[in-house]
Amino acid sequence: MKNLWKVILLSVVVIILVLFALGLENDPRNIPSPLVGRPAPLFSAPALDDGPPIVMESFRGRWLLVNFWGSWCGSCVREHSYLIELARKTAKRNDFVMIGVDFKDTKEGGRSFLASLGNPGYRHVFDPDQKVAIDWGVYGAPETYLVDPTGIVRYKQVGPLYDGWFEQIALPIMEKKP
Amino acid sequence: MWIEIAHFATIVALLLTLLQTSAPVVGVNMQRPVWIRVGRQASFMAAGLLTLAIMGVVISFLNHDFSVKYVAEHASRSLPMFYLTTALWGGHEGSLLFWAWLMALFTAIAVGWHWSTHARSIPWVLSILGAVTSGFLILVLFLSSPFERLTDPPFDGQDLNPLLQDPGMVFHPPFLYMGYVGFAIPFAFAVAALINGRITDEWILATRRWTLFSWAMLTTGIIFGAYWAYYELGWGGYWAWDPVENASFMPWLIATAFLHSVMVQERRRMFKIWNLFLIITTFALSLLGTFLVRSGVLSSVHAFASDPGRGVYILMFMAVVLLFSFGLLVFRADRLRTEVRLESPFSMEAAFLFNNLFLVIAGLTVLLGTLYPLAVETFGSSKVTVGAPYYNKVFIPIMLGILLLMGVGPLLVWRGVQMKSLLQSLTKPAMVGLAGAGLSLLVVVNHPYGAITVGLVLFVIHAHMTDVWHGIKKRMSNTGEGMTVALMGLFTRNKRRYGGFIVHFGILMMAMGFVGSGLFQEEKNLVLAQGDHVVIGRWKLVFEKIIDVEGKNWKAQEAVIQVEGPAGAFTLHPQKRVYQDHQMPTTEAAIFSGIREDLYVVLGDAVTETTWAFRIYRNPLVSWIWNGSGIMALGILFALLQGRRLSRKIAEKGTVELERGT
Repeated sequence: MKNLWKVILLSVVVIILVLFALGLENDPRNIPSPLVGRPAPLFSAPALDDGPPIVMESFRGRWLLVNFWGSWCGSCVREHSYLIELARKTAKRNDFVMIGVDFKDTKEGGRSFLASLGNPGYRHVFDPDQKVAIDWGVYGAPETYLVDPTGIVRYKQVGPLYDGWFEQIALPIMEKKP
Repeated sequence: MWIEIAHFATIVALLLTLLQTSAPVVGVNMQRPVWIRVGRQASFMAAGLLTLAIMGVVISFLNHDFSVKYVAEHASRSLPMFYLTTALWGGHEGSLLFWAWLMALFTAIAVGWHWSTHARSIPWVLSILGAVTSGFLILVLFLSSPFERLTDPPFDGQDLNPLLQDPGMVFHPPFLYMGYVGFAIPFAFAVAALINGRITDEWILATRRWTLFSWAMLTTGIIFGAYWAYYELGWGGYWAWDPVENASFMPWLIATAFLHSVMVQERRRMFKIWNLFLIITTFALSLLGTFLVRSGVLSSVHAFASDPGRGVYILMFMAVVLLFSFGLLVFRADRLRTEVRLESPFSMEAAFLFNNLFLVIAGLTVLLGTLYPLAVETFGSSKVTVGAPYYNKVFIPIMLGILLLMGVGPLLVWRGVQMKSLLQSLTKPAMVGLAGAGLSLLVVVNHPYGAITVGLVLFVIHAHMTDVWHGIKKRMSNTGEGMTVALMGLFTRNKRRYGGFIVHFGILMMAMGFVGSGLFQEEKNLVLAQGDHVVIGRWKLVFEKIIDVEGKNWKAQEAVIQVEGPAGAFTLHPQKRVYQDHQMPTTEAAIFSGIREDLYVVLGDAVTETTWAFRIYRNPLVSWIWNGSGIMALGILFALLQGRRLSRKIAEKGTVELERGT
């Protein structure tokens, strides 16, 4: 009993140090989206190609990948080639569809971005005043959301997608749910 | 050129601090005093060289030498001269160099000062302080160097973050650092005493002024930070329980406990282990604060550049210091058992014991609130923040308990009073307090905490005044002096005690400010068109127009608002500033500060062509916080004037073994 305080004191010091050591692994930028596990916000928004507006509900029944980008965003350039490849690879799947949301951008900017880097072939929402982006809780670009066939957000990727992302992250989630 | 000189000086200073760490240990073990003197010279030279290094960086700033990375990132050609100088601590790298410089400077002063009076401790003090300084210098030189050059220097720098271009922010960091670093000296003396194994009370006496000084600096630093948050950040408040704020508050709480409990050791030779624990914890928490701020383990509104590499190093450094010093304490504790026991629960020492318990528990609650989000994130996956609701629930009751003790304290004497006489002397202050609480509940205050605080404040004031009054009366009858002379005599005879009283008055005033602004803030969010008016409290505000204004390195939109109120009519000019080279606009709140309340107006965004968003706050009693802190500062200064008289008195009694010089 007499030496109890010594044990407690040293344990507390060690526990705090260990906590810090483990805490160093945390990434302060990795903020979980409160949207994950909840229904994705619905939208019906104008398209970058001036075609008919893009309606969120029309994707029901299929997995939906929503990629937020802008021509002003440097990292979006980095993931763009992967997006083109992913769109090509998944073109045959009828349970999977991709769209882009070009936000905080001008129409000319968004179009010349696609023209110079290549158009992945799927449609893009044009969201200059961030109506959609704010609804979805986007705070940077690029950000990508995986929405399940019932309209529930299953995953949020902050930062660019990378080679193998679909197989490592998206497929396991898609296959887990019947 | 200058930056290379600074870099070289720092490298040599690192070598010297390593010498300062090792030479005295050799000297003690081989019984060769010359090695201890080598350590002393090394510490002097390191202090000089680091002064040169600091000058080198400052001169690089003044010369607009943007080929220096640190200068390019934290200054620009349009930055005013004043901020150009203080940009030294505007960033991580410079702050750390500044830390190391203060450390070396304080070491040199302490070593010069205590060289002959504390010869037995000095070698270890040199060694410990040298180790801490070299730890910081390694960080500066290898992991966050402010001396790096850019191969392709820009024409102009990126400028200092506009939020930091404010007088409050200029003084906040250096005072905080002086506080943190200042506690290193008592810490070193405490650890030296533990290593020596001759734990007399001399370390406490030696470091009393250092402790007071560091506590004063830390207090001032925290207040400057709160003041800056209030005037610059434009959210109507001054304290957000942010992890980085807590990082400075925790050492303050523990240091405050230490400040009180050392008196018990001086007078009654009790609490020896406890005092060592407190000072080690204070310094450990200072390091912890640095770690939290600089490693990025906690996300905080302060959002400093974080870097895991630095984090790992600071953590290792902290682990060494903490395990070494706490380990030493545990290892040596048995030699320190005191035979003196508490004689009465109604004694001064018991009051200090409770004061300490409350303060340490307060520190623990802040620590828990700070670490809890980290633990949740590490072992779970979700992010949580602990904010005002938690602290309001657990922290305010503890603080009210401390206020109560503050009032009881002066009524007690060492070794204890009779229960009956205590009750007798408690009656009057308690009645004044209760009456005040009841009255305030009836008149203005509609919140229990508010009423309790008012009552406690009156209770404490009455108790302190009674004590002073008794002192004066006694003196008048003993010496036949007049009242004013007796008051002066009383205060100057025991500057520490009455300096403490003045500090208490300052704290009471601040407590009123916290209650007023915390419980009775009124906030209005609205959209105004030109010519609209709004009424808040006793004030009527008319939004006249928006004009464009310009400063040396910023442009702003400024709202002109006519105010009519009890203090007459005046105009307020809240601004939305955009600094050159920066995208983000900053808000410059317009504040009318009065004794009763502050009127605080923030200009928001334009909603349409002709309407603007405004946030208007009525913040009661905020100026009491700033004025109270001023009184506190006066009290501390007064207490610092106390020489070594008390210690000599104790020394003559033979309770202290003063050591003669070599």
